[in-house]
Amino acid sequence: MLKPFQLHEPTTVEEAISVLGKFGDDASVYAGGTELLLAMKEGLLSYDHLVNIKAIPGLDVVDYDESTGVLTVGATATHRALEYSPLVGEKFSLISDVEHRVANVRVRNVGTLGGNLCFAEPHSDPGVFLLLYDAEVELVGSGGARKQSVEDFILGPYETTREPDELLTTIEVPRLPEGSRHAYIKFGYHERPSLGLGLVARVDNGTLADIRIAVGSVGPKPVRVRNAEERLRGASLADLFGNTQSSALLDEAGRMMAEAAEPVTDLHGSAEYKEHLLRVFLEEALEEATRG
Amino acid sequence: MSEDHRLQISFVVNGRPVDTEIEPHLLLLDLLRDKLALKGAKRSCDMQVCGACTVLVDGNPVSSCTYLAFEARGTDVTTIEGLADGEKLHPLMEAFIDNAGLQCGFCTPGMILAAKSLLDLNPRPSVEEVKEYMRGNLCRCTGYKKILESIEDAAQRMQG
Amino acid sequence: MAIVGTSTRRPDYLDKVTGKGAYVGDLEIPGMAHAKVLSSPLPHARILRIDASKARALPGVFGVLTAHELGDMDPYYGSDIKDRPIIAIDKVRYEGEPVAAVAAVDLETAEAALDLIDVEYEELPVIATMNDALTDGAATVHQSNLCHESHYEWGNTEEGFAEADRIFEDTFTFPMVYHYSLEPHTVIARYDELGITVWDSAQHPFLVRNELARLFGLSLNRVQVVVPYVGGGFGSKSYIKIEPLAVALSREAKRPVKLAYSVEQSAKTVRRHAASITLKTGVRNDGSFVARDCQIRLDTGAYADNGNRVTDRCADQVPGPYLWPHLTVTSKGLYTNTGAAGSFRAIGGPQAAWASESQVDMIADALGIDPLELRLKNLGAPGDVIRQGKNPLDADIATGLKEAAKGVGWAGRGAKPVTQEKETKRGIGLACSVLNAGASPTSTALVRLHADGSATAMVSTVEVGQGSKGVMAQIAAEELCIPLEKVGVVASDTAIVPYDRSTGASRSTTLVGLAVQLGAKEIKQQLLDLASKHFEAPEDKLAFADSSVVFGQESITYAQLIRQMFGGPAGELMGRGYVTPQTEGPLKGLPVFWEMAVVGAEVEVNEKTGAIRVLRLVSVSDIGKAINPKQAEGQDEGAAMQGIGHTLFEELIYEDGQLLNPNLVDYRVPSFEEVPDGFETILIENEDGPGPFGAKGIGEGPIAAVAPAIANAVFQATGVRIKELPLTPERVWRALQAGTSGGHKVDALTEG
Repeated sequence: MLKPFQLHEPTTVEEAISVLGKFGDDASVYAGGTELLLAMKEGLLSYDHLVNIKAIPGLDVVDYDESTGVLTVGATATHRALEYSPLVGEKFSLISDVEHRVANVRVRNVGTLGGNLCFAEPHSDPGVFLLLYDAEVELVGSGGARKQSVEDFILGPYETTREPDELLTTIEVPRLPEGSRHAYIKFGYHERPSLGLGLVARVDNGTLADIRIAVGSVGPKPVRVRNAEERLRGASLADLFGNTQSSALLDEAGRMMAEAAEPVTDLHGSAEYKEHLLRVFLEEALEEATRG
Repeated sequence: MSEDHRLQISFVVNGRPVDTEIEPHLLLLDLLRDKLALKGAKRSCDMQVCGACTVLVDGNPVSSCTYLAFEARGTDVTTIEGLADGEKLHPLMEAFIDNAGLQCGFCTPGMILAAKSLLDLNPRPSVEEVKEYMRGNLCRCTGYKKILESIEDAAQRMQG
Repeated sequence: MAIVGTSTRRPDYLDKVTGKGAYVGDLEIPGMAHAKVLSSPLPHARILRIDASKARALPGVFGVLTAHELGDMDPYYGSDIKDRPIIAIDKVRYEGEPVAAVAAVDLETAEAALDLIDVEYEELPVIATMNDALTDGAATVHQSNLCHESHYEWGNTEEGFAEADRIFEDTFTFPMVYHYSLEPHTVIARYDELGITVWDSAQHPFLVRNELARLFGLSLNRVQVVVPYVGGGFGSKSYIKIEPLAVALSREAKRPVKLAYSVEQSAKTVRRHAASITLKTGVRNDGSFVARDCQIRLDTGAYADNGNRVTDRCADQVPGPYLWPHLTVTSKGLYTNTGAAGSFRAIGGPQAAWASESQVDMIADALGIDPLELRLKNLGAPGDVIRQGKNPLDADIATGLKEAAKGVGWAGRGAKPVTQEKETKRGIGLACSVLNAGASPTSTALVRLHADGSATAMVSTVEVGQGSKGVMAQIAAEELCIPLEKVGVVASDTAIVPYDRSTGASRSTTLVGLAVQLGAKEIKQQLLDLASKHFEAPEDKLAFADSSVVFGQESITYAQLIRQMFGGPAGELMGRGYVTPQTEGPLKGLPVFWEMAVVGAEVEVNEKTGAIRVLRLVSVSDIGKAINPKQAEGQDEGAAMQGIGHTLFEELIYEDGQLLNPNLVDYRVPSFEEVPDGFETILIENEDGPGPFGAKGIGEGPIAAVAPAIANAVFQATGVRIKELPLTPERVWRALQAGTSGGHKVDALTEG
């Protein structure tokens, strides 16, 4: 059950950072709380101070800048806000597609994308699409602001580069290159995903002009698989599907994915099975993203 | 961590204003059940999976077992007790009764409220859309078939 | 019949859809304290020392219970085998076993007190699995690791095998499964100088009463068990669970105590038995079954709970609904250091049918016989004695099986359904079994006809979701010829309603319903006596209609007769219904009725991932007479869906005695996503059951037959036979891998 804590409700980022700085490890940022409160109820985490950042005006922004092509998602924007935003649906449809399948309606209604990133639960969907977009987070601390790619931000299970006195303020998501298509395959039979594989592809003249691959939930953290992307880039679609040569190419890319994702054996399945699934879903996602 | 940190909050529950003083760590489910005597929302999995504790905050479903009560300040909260219009049952309630969409009833308040939020958003959902939206509300008794029929029936009643 | 056979509005539904219906957790008893339990972190350990002095000294704590406080009583309990201590004594036998309990002013204080209790353990070797339990010289959970053994046989199995053309020997395993009734175990207990009252989420209030009276040395009249609405049971709230702990804590705290378990605590309190079943079956080349040897092992965990009965029932059910000239069955319930296993819907049935019906399919395949035909060839027919010493079969399983086959589109063993998807294959499977249902015929009811012609039926059936309150009202109204809305039902308070053994084993409509009908008939006899005097006419010239007794063109209302009898606007008639093994009719001998378990399933298997989708599921039950058809369907739909759960993914996973998935995030139960597109329930109604109006019980059958039906469908789809549950994608994928290289496919053809 939840132990008592002191609630702080700063109205500016600076104030929030100062409270976080003051209490250090005894304080936690509180945004949606869907992960944090669970862990606190279970006694896995314990804080004397929660810093509710939802009172900070503007931190729930979901805004698109046409000139830069960048979507700015504030730290307290909920999954639901992204799921139902017409703007996101139109220009960042991968986000709305995946968000629509995150957890359940109640969690999406309350949980935030920022909170999800900072909690870094390995069995989770959003990290994958953020990696595909080359998204960056902005963190503000007592020493000033810094930006970091989501890829570098997430270190491992429940671990990020965020310092105790830093606040993730925004997530910046650049648009995908014109003409890109995507696929996201989510697999598993538990409450949380066992595997998430996202793929973005741009086909030009029958060849794979550009490709991005990211994998989540199978290992310690979501990863981009750049060597597999490199290996597949430039391949002709005709060569990619349906012959032994292509199969060897996909096998190789699949192995690279397994290497990068570092599948672990857990309640969701064995590492071996997850590696197998990566190969299966790579092909499926490629077909989906390049079809038509 | 006691008296000093209490919060005064005001919100509306089932159309009636509530002013109360709470501790920050109080969960909405406990506020509703223990302080406001609204026992319709139930505690079951306690992990936001089952949906038995579902209530609507400004029309949208939340797991009140993992939702801090202070977050409800300034909102309009609907629990199952507030869904009927006096003696007149909500069409969802009528439909669940007529289609045998419940057995033990423990999941039912959350199930009906989740379905209400769905029909408010999408008045004529397909079966697939119902399944997708409702996947976070578990029922161990019915096998779901008659719940699906109840929701479909309610959608029709609410159109008509 | 206007009322019976109609899907009338259930009286509990209004309470439940409006959120007004009260469950134990919703009740407040004046002066009530809140309890928390300190659980053992170790699966097997000696308790060297418990120091609760700091907890006792914490302000707001009313009492702390440890074994020390039970010195004045014999604190061991259980449904038959009294092996479970109210709270751990000297040693703990499973991770999660209560070691101490605190009653405090609120839950926060109780929780804080738990942190102040100091327990010192000495770890003991862990008996993690049934293999561990059977290892020579292994440590023991109790005096021995054998909880219960049952054995029966007829014919001469060895001679039978000699007569057989082919012999098949296979081992099947079944996982530990958790009921997950949405309402976890919850009880409020009050112990005072007057006796004990418990407000309980329980299926068997009278058995709880009896056991509490025995434990605390009270006469039966001084123990009251009140059961409000129950938030799902499925067997998890049968017999006695946490009630003794709550009562003992109330005695210690000297005030009422509410103890509400979490899902994790409930999952460790009771589960379904894991099983390993080896079947050796001899058949003739024409498909005739000759002999079967069945060796069953069931994991009952740290305590027997109802494990002895589950061990017996699994043994009863493992031959299936077939006629065996030679049969040998040995069933062993074994102790391990895991949470106790007890009753779960169709006790022993799913394990038995999983093994038996999987193997029947394998035999059909090996002999090149259509599996439907093979079953029909060997099935017992109504009137056949399928178990020696038991009542003959009263269910028409052949008809049920044919209905299921038709419903699911079965077109023969070679006729697989087609699919356009390149990675998927489809298949159809069938399974049938039979459950010896009904439990003991020991039920009573009291029916009261009031002075205005309305009535109250008093029964102890617990409204656990199955709709008993509505059904009892329908039966009383139909029998008394009064409108349904004129009948109220008062249930499940041992101080008020008369005795009933239990709510489970599909027995309530049949047995308690019969008691209600008998009670109503006794009232009708009294009405006949009164009307006979009133009309000065012989009873055989009188009839009942519309709350009246009719004599020719004349009639008199029940209300008038009652008022005449009592001489004023008051009084009432009372009718008793006693159902005992001596009751006239088919209740002599057991089972009360045979419940068929018949399922057909169509699946789609993704050969690349191993994922199974159930496209169609058809279950068939022989209900005799459906009192309320819609709610009867709902019972079977729920049972089928629970079957889908343990078939596809449900499994409690213990590792060295530690439960790895004690919550709903990691223990998955079916959601809306698993509802098959085609999901049908067929009810056979021949009005031939032993219950009222020819009814017999249903609601358990499908859960027993779903797993083999799906596995048989997977076999038709892929040619791969899997003998372990659940059929998780990874397990199916691995089987497919092995099958492609020859491994598992050979299994499907194993022969002696």
